[in-house]
Amino acid sequence: MEREFICIICPNGCRIKVEYEGTNIKNIKGDECPKGKYYVKNEITNPLRVFTGSVLVESGDFSLVSVKTLSPIPKKYLKKVGEITRRIKVDAPVEIGQVVARNLLDNNIDLIATRKIEKKKSLLS
Amino acid sequence: MQEKEVIIIGGGAAGLAAAVACKQKGIEDILIIERGDYLGGILQQCIHDGFGLEKFHTSLAGPEYAQRYVDQVVDKKIPFLLNSLVVSLTLQKEVIVINYRGLQHYRAKVIILAMGCRERTRGAISIPGARPSGIYTAGVAQELINLKNYMVGEKIVVLGSGDIGLIMARRLTLEGAEVITVAEKLPYSSGLPRNINQCLYDFNIPLLLSHTIVDIEGNGRLSGVTIAQLGERGGIIPGSKRKIACDTLLLSVGLIPENELSREAGVVLDNITGGPQVDERGQTNIPGIFACGNVLQVHDIVDNVSLEAEYIVEGVTEYLEGKLIKEREIKVELGEGLRYVVPQTLCRLKDTIFSFRVNHPGEKKILIFEDGKKVIKKKFLRRVNPAEMVRVKLSSSEIEEVKTLKVKLV
Repeated sequence: MEREFICIICPNGCRIKVEYEGTNIKNIKGDECPKGKYYVKNEITNPLRVFTGSVLVESGDFSLVSVKTLSPIPKKYLKKVGEITRRIKVDAPVEIGQVVARNLLDNNIDLIATRKIEKKKSLLS
Repeated sequence: MQEKEVIIIGGGAAGLAAAVACKQKGIEDILIIERGDYLGGILQQCIHDGFGLEKFHTSLAGPEYAQRYVDQVVDKKIPFLLNSLVVSLTLQKEVIVINYRGLQHYRAKVIILAMGCRERTRGAISIPGARPSGIYTAGVAQELINLKNYMVGEKIVVLGSGDIGLIMARRLTLEGAEVITVAEKLPYSSGLPRNINQCLYDFNIPLLLSHTIVDIEGNGRLSGVTIAQLGERGGIIPGSKRKIACDTLLLSVGLIPENELSREAGVVLDNITGGPQVDERGQTNIPGIFACGNVLQVHDIVDNVSLEAEYIVEGVTEYLEGKLIKEREIKVELGEGLRYVVPQTLCRLKDTIFSFRVNHPGEKKILIFEDGKKVIKKKFLRRVNPAEMVRVKLSSSEIEEVKTLKVKLV
């Protein structure tokens, strides 16, 4: 089978032409760095993506904190993780890298914060 | 009137990187003036990842990228004003700021313009039809969803395939909305190929090239749009009109550098980029006024904004030391195949990074720099795309003897 992939690893967006059978790459062209082959390998076996979204924050200086999965997750879980994030709420303050949810979908999917949220300052203090 | 060495207008990606670079070069008396109520600008609402691959060799979400600079600004004790609007900038580099304390007057030796862009709106592209609610620019929708916890709608059509529109198509899908289609007027997308892949194809959202919206319906709330296919010359193909029921329309139809202040100060702008005309280190026609980031030219990658800001600070330092002397004035001429080039003039003998955008997508192209009939440099480009800025460095030795400089793509 022959297919062209657009690599999403970096903004170069290499167009990679691949000839493969099942999950076995027979010929690969257009990958300008080693990440390209790794990306294609994943695409034909188990496509992975980093999920990014946001969850509610209680008493923070912003009402939402942005989050991402600690590592790329199978593409098929993206929408399900999106549904879950709509129900999660965390308390301020939140630090970048702080784990806000663990083991989603029983699949070792952890969400970490990508934004620093401080506690809302009281006008009286 | 307070005196400052450097005033930076705008606390987004460009302003923060410029501030940090100024401090690293030993400039002490800096002030960042930011209109919004936080530093980091547009990065704070760009919660997707993929930022920082060049600058930090890792993939960061927008707020993470911003925080790396905010932390440095705080650590280095660089002063900044939030919720502060510059209402006037003069040729003499006087700045009037309005904020909760009232009016403040400043005068600086150097002004760095880092105001970024705003979005083109429905008015700018003159879509006919009704005027219901439910029509947003993509960036405004992004701010509402990602920062304000306000969902914009359920059945969405996106017009324009700029990167923000593509990113929002994915974001809305993950938040449970149905994105019916992304329509693009041009026969190619104006977003990065990787974004078309991971934001549209991943979710089976169709991208309709050579399509536009010709009518908007809705009484109170948007109820539908009519799209039509465009022919090669841009006219509507008869019989191609069809209605799409939707409650929300996002517009991702381009960015406009915010140069009202620059213009007021007498800075000469480039008609194509919408940003100031600059020399090899970002200095405008007014000595001591520099520009970087999206206010200078619309970037597709934030890493390049940071790099550009650091790069122009070399000029800022030289200016403050009195070493910035105009040695020559060579207008960089634009040849075939290219939409614009920055810088527009060369005033000194320096290693120079040129930024371009091409007119049309293409493969196997050669970028040629020439002085009259003499070729100064050639660069082979495997693939070119108007969505992707091209950056090429020429060393001072390569441009040492040029009398004129023209660039073209063949």
